[in-house]
Amino acid sequence: MTTQPHPSRGTSAAASAARPAVPGSDSRTFVHDSSDVADHLQITGVHKSFGGTEVLKGVNLDVAQGRTTAIVGPSGSGKTTLLRLIAGFSAPDSGRIALGGAEVAGPDKWLPAHKRSVGYVAQDGALFPHLSVGANIAFGLPLRGKAASLRVGELLEMVSMDRSYAKRRPHQLSGGQQQRVALARALARQPELMLLDEPFSALDAGLRVATRKAVSDTLEQAGVTTILVTHDQAEALSFADQVAVMRDGKLAQTGSPFVVYTRPADRATAEFLGDAVILEAWMEGSLALCSLGGIPVRRPPVQGKVHIMLRPEQIRISSGGPIRGTVVDTDYFGPETTVRIKLEPILVDAEHPRDPHQPVGGETINIRHWNAMLARPGTQLSLKVVGEGVIFPWQD
Amino acid sequence: MPLGYVVAATVNAGWDTIVELVFRPRVGELLLNTLALVLITVPLCVVIGIGGAWLVERTRLAGHKAWSVLLAAPLAIPAFVNSYAWVSAIPSLGGIFGGVLISVLSYFPLVYIPVAAVLSRLDPALEQSAASLGLGPWRVFFRVVLPQLRLSAAGGALLVSLHLLAEYGAFAMITFDTFTTAIYDQFRSTFNGAAANMLASVLVMFCLLLLLAESRTRGSARYARVGAGVQSNPQRLRLGMWQLPAQLALTGVTVLALGVPFWHVGRWLVAGGAAIWEREDLLQALLQTLGYGLAGAAVTTVLAFPLAYLVIRHPGPVSKVLEAANYISSSMPGIVVALALVTITVHNLPAIYQTSIVLVAAYALLFMPRALVNLRAGLAQVPPTLDEAAQALGKPPLVAFLKVTLRLAAPAAAGGAALVFLGIVNELTATLLLAPNGTRTLATQFWSMSSEIDYMGAAPYALLMIVLSAPMTYLLFVQSKKAAGQ
Repeated sequence: MTTQPHPSRGTSAAASAARPAVPGSDSRTFVHDSSDVADHLQITGVHKSFGGTEVLKGVNLDVAQGRTTAIVGPSGSGKTTLLRLIAGFSAPDSGRIALGGAEVAGPDKWLPAHKRSVGYVAQDGALFPHLSVGANIAFGLPLRGKAASLRVGELLEMVSMDRSYAKRRPHQLSGGQQQRVALARALARQPELMLLDEPFSALDAGLRVATRKAVSDTLEQAGVTTILVTHDQAEALSFADQVAVMRDGKLAQTGSPFVVYTRPADRATAEFLGDAVILEAWMEGSLALCSLGGIPVRRPPVQGKVHIMLRPEQIRISSGGPIRGTVVDTDYFGPETTVRIKLEPILVDAEHPRDPHQPVGGETINIRHWNAMLARPGTQLSLKVVGEGVIFPWQD
Repeated sequence: MPLGYVVAATVNAGWDTIVELVFRPRVGELLLNTLALVLITVPLCVVIGIGGAWLVERTRLAGHKAWSVLLAAPLAIPAFVNSYAWVSAIPSLGGIFGGVLISVLSYFPLVYIPVAAVLSRLDPALEQSAASLGLGPWRVFFRVVLPQLRLSAAGGALLVSLHLLAEYGAFAMITFDTFTTAIYDQFRSTFNGAAANMLASVLVMFCLLLLLAESRTRGSARYARVGAGVQSNPQRLRLGMWQLPAQLALTGVTVLALGVPFWHVGRWLVAGGAAIWEREDLLQALLQTLGYGLAGAAVTTVLAFPLAYLVIRHPGPVSKVLEAANYISSSMPGIVVALALVTITVHNLPAIYQTSIVLVAAYALLFMPRALVNLRAGLAQVPPTLDEAAQALGKPPLVAFLKVTLRLAAPAAAGGAALVFLGIVNELTATLLLAPNGTRTLATQFWSMSSEIDYMGAAPYALLMIVLSAPMTYLLFVQSKKAAGQ
């Protein structure tokens, strides 16, 4: 949730409904328009500095019971610091963190990690190299002997691994297996909250997707509230029910994956979450006039000169399309081709004479297409745009 | 602490006494001897060490695996045992020639081991790139390989120099006078006199100058290997017609460094027969040596642990100062540490003067770095995330530390303790000065017997010291190979 009001936030505000900023407020239950589940984790006004550098500059985040939230941001944005504060590895300088309604960090209270009901999976799994897989999983269990090995077997099955793995050593496992064991170990104590610190980033591409799916299924079955920290926006969008975009020590936007992707709160968020086509545009009523023609915009907060953002997949090559463009060059990737297209300047018709401030347009854009044959340099293409655009205030 | 003692002693003595004691012909002679010893021995050790390492690691030398161990093996023979063997061989041996001969043969492995370790890990891609840029094998060696060996060779040379300054037994046996032997004699004749202290402070000056010189050579150089990727195995150079000379040279070095000591120790053992093994002193000395070795190793490791932890987990000004202080005190010769402890205990803690407590303290001061280096490496390999993972699993920080970090650092601690043990077994100077009356370690017994020209009686002690040192030397050799990659 962002603290600055944003014109185009749209429905993203729903997920992060405003709540009293008064610290110490006793009202713990907030009813959201999107769900009836009480907030399980509440982070209010958290600040943290290291040696004079402010890493977290007032973070507010609510996570509903049983939901999965991805905190996504470029490296250095403070997302891992935030996760470590939630885990209890360090204490915030100010602000509060409450888990299940009980404060775990605040002005006069701080619970260290071992007293919080929190599971934690580190980037490299952090399996204890001197213990077998079984002993790793049983590390936090109060059980011993037969009871412990039964529980270890259950947990291994929970992460879709055979019980026989319990006898192996961590170095005998593949990276993906190590991460699943780390998850089983963290699940052993049935934590209220599961924290995943870039657990897939050390895996290679194929394994990453499969492990992500396995982990996500396991956590959904267990019904554990989960927070995933990642710098990979595709991972965040596919893994989570709620995505919190972190930038420069603050959460720039919080909302469902669909909302943050299609209706980003600002230009930086838009460009971080995926490829974006950004054009100069002239806003009149609910129509933005740009080199791609008139694009509908929902509830535009401003009129006149703006930037409009479209995702490349909204722009289609279509024989009957109203827009003209010339192919500049292409990049072949196999399943699809990136096509650079030089657009015509903004059309001016007789009924709408050009305002002297109106931008000229004629930008070059990148889109993707499956047919490499269509797009030889110099070819004239017809284009059409699907869906709405998002506008941002004009910036030179 | 020993440093503080030397400074205090110098200040106490007053300027006139200092001038009188330091600027006299005797000191000049010692200075000349010591300087000549260092200046001749160190380059020879560097040449033999680098040459041997290169032959073993980078050429198609026949039997290079066996050579790689044989060249490290002389480290298991204490220098004063080596000296004893050579005196047995050539009774007239002495002077600068004798000093250099014995020093080179005893200490060249200190250069060989680190250089060989670096050479075996050196990325061959560098040499291949140089070759592809048109450099021949010799120019590749001098322009690419040699510069990369600078750090390890300089470190080895520093160790050799510090050993040369600190060694007492080897030089006393061939009556070659250096600062250390002179300090010892002064101390024995006048007991805690100003003269011994002044000589000690000159010796300390030497050590500090050496440290400074080494850190200048080291400079701010860092050797980085850019990028990940698997490094291919180095290609070995064909020796061709040089195979025979190379084999002969290595055989020569090995015969002199290993053959002579073993032959003469063996000769005395055979000559002495069973009788020399039947003295009960032998068992007593063995037990006392083991006792001091184990106690010293345990105390040193326990003391080194907090320092290593601080340096690795909470690096900052405090840990840097502590580490530097430790580094300097470790370069102090045993004799200076011993003198300092004698003075301090006599004046301030007479109750523990000449007790085993003081001796163990001296061992801890002398051998702390051996424990520290190992512990640092061990702790650095335990990522803090493991501790955090244990805490997130409900273990309080102390329990998490004990069950994870301490447990994982244990092998490294054991390795460090073993090296401390090796040092204590072969330690002579500080033990002679500080041991309680009636103490008999292998080294002191060997020393008193060989001083009385009872070469036959000394032989079993020599053998036992070599036998105790051998596994530790091997451990050191193996460890250096592993550590070189980091």
